[in-house]
Formats: sequence, C-alpha cells, structure tokens
Amino acid sequence: MLRTARFAFTMARRSITRRKFRSALTILGIIIGISAVVSLMTLGIGMKSQVESTLNEMLGAGIIINSSTYGIDIPEHVQYYVSQVPGVNKSIPIIMSMVYIGNKPHTVVGIDPEQANEVYQVTIEDGRGLRSGDMDAVVLDSTIASNLGVKVNDTITFNTQTGGLGKTFKVVGIIRPIASFGQFASIGCFITLDAAQDFFGTPDRVSSILIRLDDPSQGEQVEAILKQMFPDANVLRQEEIMSNINRIMSTIDGVLLGLASISLMVGALGIMNTVMMSVHERRREIGMLKAVGGERWHILIIFLSEALLISFIGGVFGCIFGLGGVYLIQWFVKTLGLNIIVPLLISPQILALGLMAALAVGSVAGFYPSWKAANVRPVEALRYE
Amino acid sequence: MSNVVELRNVVKTYDLGGAIKVDALRGINLNVERGEFMSIMGPSGCGKSTLLNIIGGLDSPTSGQVIIDGIDITHMSERDLAHIRREKIGFVFQFFNLVPLLTALENVQIPMIFAGRYSNAEIKERAIELLRLVGLEHRLHHRPNQMSGGEQQRVAIARALANEPSIILADEPTGNVDRETGLKIIHLMKNLNETLGQTFIIVTHDPDIAHISKRIIYMLDGQVIPEPPRLTMNPSSSILAEERRKMLLSELKWLEVSIKNLEAKKMKLNKESYLQAKLGYKKRLEMLKKALQEEYKGRR
Ligand SMILES: Nc1ncnc2c1ncn2[C@@H]1O[C@H](COP(=O)(O)OP(=O)(O)OP(=O)(O)O)[C@@H](O)[C@H]1O
Ligand SMILES: [Mg+2]
Repeated sequence: MLRTARFAFTMARRSITRRKFRSALTILGIIIGISAVVSLMTLGIGMKSQVESTLNEMLGAGIIINSSTYGIDIPEHVQYYVSQVPGVNKSIPIIMSMVYIGNKPHTVVGIDPEQANEVYQVTIEDGRGLRSGDMDAVVLDSTIASNLGVKVNDTITFNTQTGGLGKTFKVVGIIRPIASFGQFASIGCFITLDAAQDFFGTPDRVSSILIRLDDPSQGEQVEAILKQMFPDANVLRQEEIMSNINRIMSTIDGVLLGLASISLMVGALGIMNTVMMSVHERRREIGMLKAVGGERWHILIIFLSEALLISFIGGVFGCIFGLGGVYLIQWFVKTLGLNIIVPLLISPQILALGLMAALAVGSVAGFYPSWKAANVRPVEALRYE
Repeated sequence: MSNVVELRNVVKTYDLGGAIKVDALRGINLNVERGEFMSIMGPSGCGKSTLLNIIGGLDSPTSGQVIIDGIDITHMSERDLAHIRREKIGFVFQFFNLVPLLTALENVQIPMIFAGRYSNAEIKERAIELLRLVGLEHRLHHRPNQMSGGEQQRVAIARALANEPSIILADEPTGNVDRETGLKIIHLMKNLNETLGQTFIIVTHDPDIAHISKRIIYMLDGQVIPEPPRLTMNPSSSILAEERRKMLLSELKWLEVSIKNLEAKKMKLNKESYLQAKLGYKKRLEMLKKALQEEYKGRR
C-alpha cells in the first residue's frame, strides 16, 4: 500500500513534469481558486477583528446615546442624568461630526481631553496631546497626517462644508492610529469639546454620550432605562451594534466565499480535464499495469496521486499568492487614498484550510477520471496500437 | 500434476450486439507441460491473442474450463485474476508496453511493487539481477525512449520474470523488431527457459522463430489443428497474401521436420506404412514448393 503510493507519486511527479505546460495551466487554476479563498478569508477575519477592537475602543464596552437626528442637539447637562442611572460607571459627552479638510470629509471628535483616555487608546507619536482650554489645537493620527501632508506645528483648515469659510487649527500632536472601520467612522482627528462646540456653533450641545458600564452584563437593563428616560434619543448598545455589523460582515463573507468557490470549481474542472487526458493517453499503460497484476485500487492510486500532487502544488502557491493578494489590496487601498487600514492577520488555520481545500478539490475532481482508469478493460486497452 | 496449463473445451464468443457474434475460440483443448517452450502459429484473426489472454487470466472464456498451475481460474473474480496474473503469469507484448516515465530498473520493479512479496531492498536488488540476466546491466537508468526496440523487449522480459511466474506468455514478442533482433530475443527466452525452467508460450508468425521451440501448435478459425493448414484447404480470401506465404513457409518447415523424423524412425515402422507416408510427404512437398513459387511470382 505504502509502496504503491510512493511509486504512484514518483509516476505522478514525472507525469506532471513531462507535460509542463498543461500541468502549469492546471496548477494555475488551483492557485487562483485557493489564493482567492485565502486572501478573502484573511481579509474577512482581519476586518472582523478590526471592527470588534474598534467598537471596543470607541464604546469601552458599553452604550452610546446619539441624537435621533444625528445632529448636535443633545443638551450637555443630560450627561448628568445619565451618570445617575444605576450601572453607569462613566458617561462622556462628545461631539462626533463631519468636517471638510481641503475638500475631503473627515470625522472630527470633540472630547474633553481629560476624559479621552477613558474611551480611546491614545499613544502620542509626536508633539503633545490635547489640553483643556485648547481652542485651536488639533491632534491627528499618523495616517491622516501623512495623507494631508502635515507635521506638528503645521496648520489645517476645517470647513463645515466644501468651500465654506473655515477655521484654522494648529496640529499639536500626532498619535498612532486608533482602530477604525472604513467609511463608517475613521476616528483620527481630535479637538477639545469646547473647540468643537465653538466651531459648530452649538454651545452646550453634544452629539453623543458615551457610556461605560460597571458591568457589561447589565447592558440590556441600563439600555432599557435610558430608552425610557430619553425616548427621543437613539440608544445603541455595543453588543447590538456588534451583532448588526457581524451580520453584514457574514453576508460579505458569504458573497466573497461564493466567488472564491466558483474559481475553485473552475480549478477543479481543470484537474478533471488534465487527469482525463492523462488517462486517455495512457490507456495502453493501464492495460499493461493490469496485465502484470495491478488491481483497480493500484490504478486508482496512480491517477489520483497525479490529481493530488497538482492540487497540493496549487494549494501551496495559492496560500502564498493569497497572502500576497492581501498585501496587494492593502497597497491598492492606500494608493486610492482611502483612510482604511486593512489589517493582515496571517492565521495558520486559514493556510491549513486553504491547503485542505486544495487537496479536497483535487481528490474530488480527480476521482472520476481515476475511477475510469481503474475500470479500463486490459484486453481492450492492449489490443490496438 | 505436470500440466501447468489445461484448457478444456474453451469457447470464446464475442457478442457484437444485434445478432452478430464472433467465435474467436471454438472448443480449444490444450495441455502444456511445466517447463515447455511452445509456439502458437496461425493466420491473423484465428484467435491466438484471445487464447493467450484467456490462459493469462486477462479474459474469461464464454464456456469451458481453464486450469493454471492446478488452479481453476475459469470463474474467478477480477481481483483473484489480478492475483493470479501477479503471481503466476508474466506477459511480454509486441509493443513492449514499458512505462515511458520510468527507467528500465523501475519498470522491472512494477510487478514486485504490486505483489508486495519482497522488501524494498530486495525489489531493487532483484530488478538489477533480472536486468543483468537479460544483458542490460548497463541500461538500468535509461528510459524506454533511450533504448532500442530489442533492449526494450529485454526489459519487458525481465519484468515478466519479476515475480517468478510459472508461465511466460509472449504475444508476437518479435513483431516489432528486425529479424535478427527477434531471433536474439527468442534465443534469450529459450535460454531462460532452460536455466530457470519456466514455461514459455509464444505467439509468432515467423516459422524460423517457431521452430526454435520444441512444440508448435497451429490454429485456424478458433481451433487448434493437428498440422499446419493444408494447401488443399484453399485458404479463404480473407487471409492476406503475406499471411498465406507465411503459412506455406511454416508448413514447408513442418514437412521437412516431419520427413526427418520419419527417416529417423524408419527402422521401427513397417515398410508399407513408411513408404506410404514418405510418398504422401513427397507429394505435398512438391505441391507446396509449386504453390510457393506461384506465390512469389504473384508478388512481383
Ligand atoms: N473484443 C472483441 N470484440 C469482438 N471481436 C473480437 C474481440 N477481440 C477479438 N475479436 C475477434 O476474435 C477473433 C480472434 O482475434 P485475435 O485477436 O485473438 O486474433 P489473433 O490470432 O491474435 O490475430 P493477430 O495475428 O492479427 O494478432 C478475430 O476475428 C477478432 O476480430
Ligand atoms: Mg494477436
């Protein structure tokens, strides 16, 4: 058995190297399929973990109250009532809104510098952080800063709309990018709450109140109370947001995987075709192998190993190219100037899965032609030249 | 049990669908003794290959009984037949049928790999030994396309011997090499037969090659006939001129041998029957020579 398998692999190896061009095309088919699977799954997992950590950072495992109009119209003192709700550990009023810098939209967060660390993980790379009373200071994350081409002590102008009259802020600090998730919210531009209220012309108003809970498991209760207290407001619980986002993500995952499986299917057809041709060309050889005592399973193994070897090579290169594909997407996103960090999490599970998918495709696609080979009638195969 | 092959009333009919049937073998009875070196001759389509395939367990008869090495293989399953082929039979084909991807050494190993009788080291050792036996120790790592036809056929013979089979079946082993090489190959087989004692059954069209063997059987239309096909039988038009010529030649050889035997046994026979036989042979010899002359004229 083992000996036959080893012998079969020797033959498979030589058969593949003899028909280089044909084998290369077949392997390419598998590479495309597997690299699609690997890169899409890596992206999917990376995006999911990204979203999760972002939400964690943004919400600090809690609840966010937004204005139902998504404007800046929640009276700041509401925060006091919120803080009195049992189960609420900390409540922080913020303004999160959109401004134009140049003519690109950015999300700006106005927050009390003293409380910023309660919800955001801030690491200063250059300059300093915000201080209370800073009215024209801005802190940017390094991605935005490099996109805008500014350094510490440079100035940038905020506009409420394109072309409008702006206000100039001085960049006082650059921080490491806080996790973000795509267009939904990329948070990387901070001013003080006072400055934001001043800029937007909304004194004593905020757009959201971030709430940290004493105990995350009380989320539902606290949410219910808040909803009663502020029926007009939009109360979002993190878990809820998370499950919504997860739903969207798994839909995206499904679509991507669907695409990947179609390309895998094409690869499978390639293998089937190659092995079929090999069986056809080697009919006489099969007849001989049976004449010298080969049984069905001997022949089956010989041809199946050709399919498996092709798919194994395709799988290995597919994994490599799949990871390369993720880098490519990262680079692409960057050159487009989109402010999205596509994380790259190389997970050994995905690579193992990619390889296994390749072998599964190979054995399924190779089985039919190999079975045909195993059932060749030796007398007929040997009769004619 | 000295018979290594016993065929009893073996019939093979191919059903081509509809009412069309081809009788490839029509009641063959044949015993082959262990260690025999035997040739089968006969015109194309007379059923030689079919017979060989049935003896070798590649094909099953429509009726009758096939006993190989004392084992009745007539109704064996495909698996058991594969086992018989592996252990008892060695095939040599007209078109060599080596695996082009493998070296001579690897080709010889195939039957042993399937059989699982020897260890890996033994397999390799044995394969080298067998190739030495057929005079190819300098071609171990050559691929079939790097060898001459004769060399390829010798590799095939080594492969046939791999599992120490009882019977070697060769279907026109010289059909694809020149005459001289063909004769060398037959002599090699003959030597192997004498040294190793295996039974050889060889299908051939070449009377010279056939006459190297002690025993020749002739076939015609799916039957074994006691003597070479006679002229008076008026060979059917389906037989090609080339075939006909070969048949005539082989009969000539047969007659010559028969006359020699007759002379040798002269003393034991009574005069009457001796003279009668001699007269009969003479007549046929003349007819045969005339027919052959016409044959050659016709060819020109
Ligand atoms: N699978 C088959 N189906 C139908 N007819 C067959 C089949 N195999 C053989 N035959 C027929 O059986 C007869 C004997 O064939 P066989 O191959 O045994 O002849 P042969 O003596 O070996 O001829 P040759 O010298 O040309 O090799 C032929 O008439 C052939 O056409
Ligand atoms: Mg034949």
